[in-house]
Amino acid sequence: MPPGKDALPPGGRWARISRPVRSKAKKFLAWLFSGKSEKASHLLILPASFWLSFFLVIPIVLLLVLSLAQRGPYGTVIWHPTLDNFRRAFTPLYIPIVARTLLYCGAAAVICLLLGYPTAYFLSFYAGEWRDTFLILLMIPFWTSALVSIYSWIIILGRDGLMNSVLTGIGLLHTPLDVLNTPFSVILGLVYFYLPFMILPLYSSLEKIPKQYMEASYDLGAGAFQTFLKVTLPLSLPGVFAGFILTFVPCLGDFLTAEFLGGPRTYLIGNLIENQFLMAQDWPFGAALTAVLLGAMLVGLYYYQKLEAAEIA
Amino acid sequence: MPGMTRRDFLKIAVLAGAAPSLLAGCAGEGDKHEVNFFNWSTYIAKDTLPRFSLETGIVVNYSVFSDEEEMFAKLRSGALGYDLIVATDYMIPRLKALNLIDPYPTGALKNTGDIDPKFRNTPYDPDNAYTVPYLWGTTGIGFNKKHISKRPTSWWDLWDPKYKGKISMLDNARDCVGIALLMKGCPQTTDSDAAFKAAEQLLISQKPLLKQYSSSTYVDSLINGEVYLAMAWSGDVIQAARENPELDYVIPKEGSYIWVDNMCLVKGSRHRADTLRLVDYLIEGKVAAEIANFVRYGSPNAAAKPYLDKSLLDDPRVFPPPSVLKKLQFYAILPPDLAQTWIDTWSDVKAA
Repeated sequence: MPPGKDALPPGGRWARISRPVRSKAKKFLAWLFSGKSEKASHLLILPASFWLSFFLVIPIVLLLVLSLAQRGPYGTVIWHPTLDNFRRAFTPLYIPIVARTLLYCGAAAVICLLLGYPTAYFLSFYAGEWRDTFLILLMIPFWTSALVSIYSWIIILGRDGLMNSVLTGIGLLHTPLDVLNTPFSVILGLVYFYLPFMILPLYSSLEKIPKQYMEASYDLGAGAFQTFLKVTLPLSLPGVFAGFILTFVPCLGDFLTAEFLGGPRTYLIGNLIENQFLMAQDWPFGAALTAVLLGAMLVGLYYYQKLEAAEIA
Repeated sequence: MPGMTRRDFLKIAVLAGAAPSLLAGCAGEGDKHEVNFFNWSTYIAKDTLPRFSLETGIVVNYSVFSDEEEMFAKLRSGALGYDLIVATDYMIPRLKALNLIDPYPTGALKNTGDIDPKFRNTPYDPDNAYTVPYLWGTTGIGFNKKHISKRPTSWWDLWDPKYKGKISMLDNARDCVGIALLMKGCPQTTDSDAAFKAAEQLLISQKPLLKQYSSSTYVDSLINGEVYLAMAWSGDVIQAARENPELDYVIPKEGSYIWVDNMCLVKGSRHRADTLRLVDYLIEGKVAAEIANFVRYGSPNAAAKPYLDKSLLDDPRVFPPPSVLKKLQFYAILPPDLAQTWIDTWSDVKAA
């Protein structure tokens, strides 16, 4: 077809592009997605690298620089390098907060595991054709704003709330329970927010177990419980570890839950950091605390990976 | 709504609907009629702003805060596009020092003449350049009569182990550290480490008795019996008491603080003319009275007085009698390092 005609040729706009350009573009795409060229792989990773450098690496570098600065009057920042902020981060004043955070996050992760394992097991082995529906239902809380969820919990747990009126209504309680603003309500909130992060990796690792393994176990005379204990559970351990990390680590930085569902004595590391930036206007100290938390998480993840590698070997 | 036609109504509806898109893409365009107003929560009458929009065609994007330090932190981090903020007296020197607010252009407001001279030429704004007073109130104790037999009379009632788990405190340094210093008999302007240590210890010793630190939801907690006693701002409790007669408010015998909240122009605001129009509207006698009648705080506006409800004017909780008034002090204007000591003391209390 000669170029320059107004009507679109068969094959649409693509066909209007001259043949050499077309073939070059095709070749380029074939090369890009061939999975063989190293240069192509560099090109493919480019957008993600830009994203990570601008929104992760550079902010973290800025944070580290800020953590070495000093606080000026009215919350301004004085660029005079010092390690004081880090020294302050390790004063005994903050030990109870660290201990409390580890306790709450650990408890939340364990409860997530206890609730998540049966759920994931059900999804993998029993849900059948309903599985996709259940998975979507699991994701719905994610699509709700965190603040809306938190306020709903305040309404549910309050003294005049849903929980208390039901419990007193059916005669289980005489006086309403004060559960709001307690460690219980904070851990409950954490479990609620991070449960899907436990269920999904568990589900995907249970799903991957070939059914033949269990059949073989039954053939060799093992009962259902023994099969679970000796075959299914060990094979799902990577999911257990992944789920634990994915719930425990983000919990460590959570501040919204404790802010809204907690009380004066449920102050967590996340609240301490948030308060440095907003209330106390001590950005350098807030940055130092964040750096310490981030460092601790990285060390933890490094040992976790080593452990996992040893497990596989 | 004088002279409102169906056409006006449609215009407002369209403006209101378009507000988010205006916000999204309005960089540099000063001709869009809107004002971004950042105010304390529960601090305006229900229909004040809709009526202003109807009368003027100016859309008001209204957002609220419940901790002034957080408002300040947001303003300082910049680029949020607020045009008008409400800030308490003690905050004004800080906002000025960091160049976050602009002075009012001379002669830009018609109605400033109506403001009670008591609220003009104040220590925090001697030339009336940066502030237009909005409302004033006091800090005291809010309580629920249904749950406590004896009226609280002293700040120490908030430390009474009898009410363990049923006490709420405001979540900010000025009120908590301020009251603790007062209870320890230290002057507000003290710079003694021992005084701050004592105040800190006092506040920490109270923590096991507390249900919460809250500056926004404590009134709900008082209503539903979640807490019985709360350190409170006068109007917050008195406005809720209209519908819940069990709620009451008292200024403790040791004395307390009285404060004035002011409207300030945010530096570099793009909607200056519309903002000034809104400020002028809010200090019209009738409008100011309507706000005061609703939120139950005192209006600094002399022209509002004829329109104030009699029940508000006769309420000693809103307008304290001279015997109480003499025990109330304004927040002192503190030098930067001392202001920081207050915040650090409070920070340590929260972390303890």
